Amino acid sequence: MRRWLLISVPYLWLLVFFLVPFFIVFKISLSDIATAIPPYTPTFDWSQGLSGIGTFLSQLDFENYFFIFEDPLYLNAYWSALTIAAISTFLTLLIAYPIAYGMARAPKEWQPTLVMLVILPFWTSFLIRVYAWIGILKKEGLLNLFLMNLGIISEPLTILNTTTAVYIGIVYSYLPFMILPLYASLEKINPSLLEAAEDLGSPPWKAFWQVTFPLSIPGVLAGCFLVFIPATGEFVIPDLLGGSDTLMIGKTLWNEFFNNRDWPVSSAVAVVLLLVLVVPIVLFQRNQEKQREAGR
Amino acid sequence: MRRFSWFNATSIALGFAFLYIPILLLVIYSFNESKLVTVWGGWSTKWYSSLLQNEGLLSAAWVTLRVAVVSSTLATILGTLAAIVLVRIGRFPGRTLFSGLIFAPLVMPEVITGLSLLLLFVAMNVDRGFWTVVIAHATFSMCFAAVVVQARLYDFDKSVEEAAMDLGAPPVKTFLQVTLPIIAPSVISAWLLSFTLSLDDLVIASFATGPGATTLPMKIYSQVRLGVTPEINAVSTIMIGLVTIGVIFASYTTKRASARQEREMKAVDAGAK
Amino acid sequence: MSETQALGASPTATPGAGPTRATVRTPAPQSGFAPWKDPSKSPIVRFENIVKRFGDFVAVKECTLDIYEREFFALLGPSGCGKTTLLRMLAGFEKPTSGRILVAGEDITELAPYERPVNMMFQSYALFPHMTVEQNIGFGLKQEGMPKDAIAARVEEAMAMLELSRFGKRKPHQLSGGQQQRVALARAIAKKPRIVLLDEPLGALDKRLRQQAQFELMRIQETTGTTFIIVTHDQEEAMTVSSRIAVMDHGQFMQVATPGDIYEAPNSRYVANFIGDVNLFEGKVVRVADGFVEIDWGPGLARFKSVAPEGCVADQQIWLALRPEKVRIAFEKPSEASNAVPGKVVDVGYLGSISHYHVELANGQRVRALRANSARTVARTINWEDSVWLEWPPETGIVLTR
Repeated sequence: MRRWLLISVPYLWLLVFFLVPFFIVFKISLSDIATAIPPYTPTFDWSQGLSGIGTFLSQLDFENYFFIFEDPLYLNAYWSALTIAAISTFLTLLIAYPIAYGMARAPKEWQPTLVMLVILPFWTSFLIRVYAWIGILKKEGLLNLFLMNLGIISEPLTILNTTTAVYIGIVYSYLPFMILPLYASLEKINPSLLEAAEDLGSPPWKAFWQVTFPLSIPGVLAGCFLVFIPATGEFVIPDLLGGSDTLMIGKTLWNEFFNNRDWPVSSAVAVVLLLVLVVPIVLFQRNQEKQREAGR
Repeated sequence: MRRFSWFNATSIALGFAFLYIPILLLVIYSFNESKLVTVWGGWSTKWYSSLLQNEGLLSAAWVTLRVAVVSSTLATILGTLAAIVLVRIGRFPGRTLFSGLIFAPLVMPEVITGLSLLLLFVAMNVDRGFWTVVIAHATFSMCFAAVVVQARLYDFDKSVEEAAMDLGAPPVKTFLQVTLPIIAPSVISAWLLSFTLSLDDLVIASFATGPGATTLPMKIYSQVRLGVTPEINAVSTIMIGLVTIGVIFASYTTKRASARQEREMKAVDAGAK
Repeated sequence: MSETQALGASPTATPGAGPTRATVRTPAPQSGFAPWKDPSKSPIVRFENIVKRFGDFVAVKECTLDIYEREFFALLGPSGCGKTTLLRMLAGFEKPTSGRILVAGEDITELAPYERPVNMMFQSYALFPHMTVEQNIGFGLKQEGMPKDAIAARVEEAMAMLELSRFGKRKPHQLSGGQQQRVALARAIAKKPRIVLLDEPLGALDKRLRQQAQFELMRIQETTGTTFIIVTHDQEEAMTVSSRIAVMDHGQFMQVATPGDIYEAPNSRYVANFIGDVNLFEGKVVRVADGFVEIDWGPGLARFKSVAPEGCVADQQIWLALRPEKVRIAFEKPSEASNAVPGKVVDVGYLGSISHYHVELANGQRVRALRANSARTVARTINWEDSVWLEWPPETGIVLTR
């Protein structure tokens, strides 16, 4: 009895505020835009009873989905969000791996401090950290100033408001999410495994590819999912750092909702984005559960 | 893993430079006399004093702080309960859905979470404002809180709770006298994490809010879109400073606690001889 | 503070210098204390047809068992045999799938752990890490709502009994393994429960400490007059501490008897093998006469004679169990012995006080024999490849029917 009380409080909360809203999003994605409050039709009318449900259901259709799939704007936005997320995930992995590897090999007494230094930026505002790059990347910004003073370039580079700036922003913002799982899996590797590999005739760089890297794959996977999934739906970074030609679906959804006030279409965009992300999200949860099982 | 090489040291140094230089530049330029962000006009604190006159920013900061305190407290309670359900109550009908509901918000794009919550509030016909933002923040933070507490509960020896019951403590007493004190550090970090998540959130708050409840990130965002201003640098510096002080304070107190424990042990040892 | 100091301070905890098993158990010497033989005594614990299933796995199969007041009862078996499950059902952490558990005649099957008159010492000790030794020991008393000064007195008493008085203000992580073990025991006895349950209580200690702790457990059990039920996989530990042992396998009791009976009169090959070392000869009953049985254990081999077990009939398949220390080994064929087999020594293990011999018989079977090295020099030592005779009187072998 008490058990059910304990379960029901967080369960009901999540059902009401997380699961039910998705059904509402789905329902509205089948509705039509209207100049009303709320700005969609039909709305459900309780006073009509059962026949009301019938007329209500008959007015729903998949029109918005056809619209999304016919307009190349949306398809491009999905596709470019996925490619930008994939490329930046790969870049983040390239940068994070040597850092995590160095941290795992650092003297034991430094490691807690190093981990804290990786986490610390995560505690400071995401928005502020993205904002910091505007001042650095813009035409008269600090990076161009620095490079021109060194004489490396004579003309300022255009980085801000390009896709390059979006890559930089994603890599920078999500770097801790990649370093931490990598470090966790690298740190667990028993050093005598490497000694054993070398003892059996494998030079260090080979031992790395034969022993260290395969053992760190769970961390690599966890890190990649943790970067890829939220980066696909990212809004702040493409909005602040990207240009008008940088299409990302999160930004499209935002504009559709706040600027065009088209709630049904933005709901349909959200439903499709969710369907696109279901595969990586489920794979990620599988990976996590496998790790937890193996850890016990 | 041993044998720390030059390659390792260089990667760490470059990595941390990449992580920290943008933040450092932001802080330095908040003390810039010149209004042009890229031109150094000498040291000045004038942007900080002009902040104090900016009532819009100040009231947004106050709203943000209140939202963060209330929502993180709510999130910690709900998250701790959820963690206990996941770890301590084995199988129950609907468990798979429950663990999915805890997990999904962690990776769900914010635009989707925000939009769906807004549509819920509209459908429920509630006035949007302070409380809707609190509920929105509590909902996604509770999942982070649950993960933090869950990790602690997993490496918690269950027989300690059994021992308490065996000695006559009913479940609720066992939780309050034994479980909670042992997991307290993770509950506190869950609260701190929820607090910063709430402080930081722009997207979900933008969807869930209504008139009169503009949060600081929303305010910053609307100004940032118009360009870089030293005033925003100053606000950011204050926020970074507060977080840094918080983190340093937290690590200092835990260090002091462990040092005290060591001293106690030595004293006891001396007394025992 | 070193381990030796802490434990050495306890006069009974030092093996050798301390009292032997017989003196520790003075009020209940093995011959006198046998409530299970007394039909007028009623048991303090009764397991009645207990079955426990975890999904498809049957952990405990139809177990019925009586345990009496002041017993030190051991549940002994390999891991996964159901002994811990049985103990946890008595503590209330697991519910039996069917059957009843009675304590002092009262059905406690449905009671929650915190409503039962038993206290448990956990394998991991399960000390509350955020409380001092005193708070740990006093926890159960506090739950009863006992007044503060009474709690303090009882805690003091328990700490004194276990030589813990100096550590009262310490936290568990500031104690050694042996000290933690004693805090766990003190906590389990502080409420003066009628029954104390011990789940592998000494598993985490090293061998030397474990022996000391075994004597300490016996002393505490004796002075408090409490019923102790211990779960262990260590047969030596069970033999040392307990008044009776239940040998378990696959969720069933194989034999419930005193340590002496378990060793000298095992009822099955499983028990004979599990407790100590044993030689087994498989054979067939030729005939039963005058309380003795004649055993044919292979064509062309001299028949064995042994004391007949109850209900033994001709042609029945049986096993003869023979403890190595009961086999005499000699160069010459003994004249009057009823059982003697020739063989060849294939292995000798010299252990100082005793020597082990592995002797291969004509049919290829190997037999182990033990001999005490009582004389410092012997005219001729038994060595590899020596031809020897093994001999034992008919009373020493045990005929097993299963």
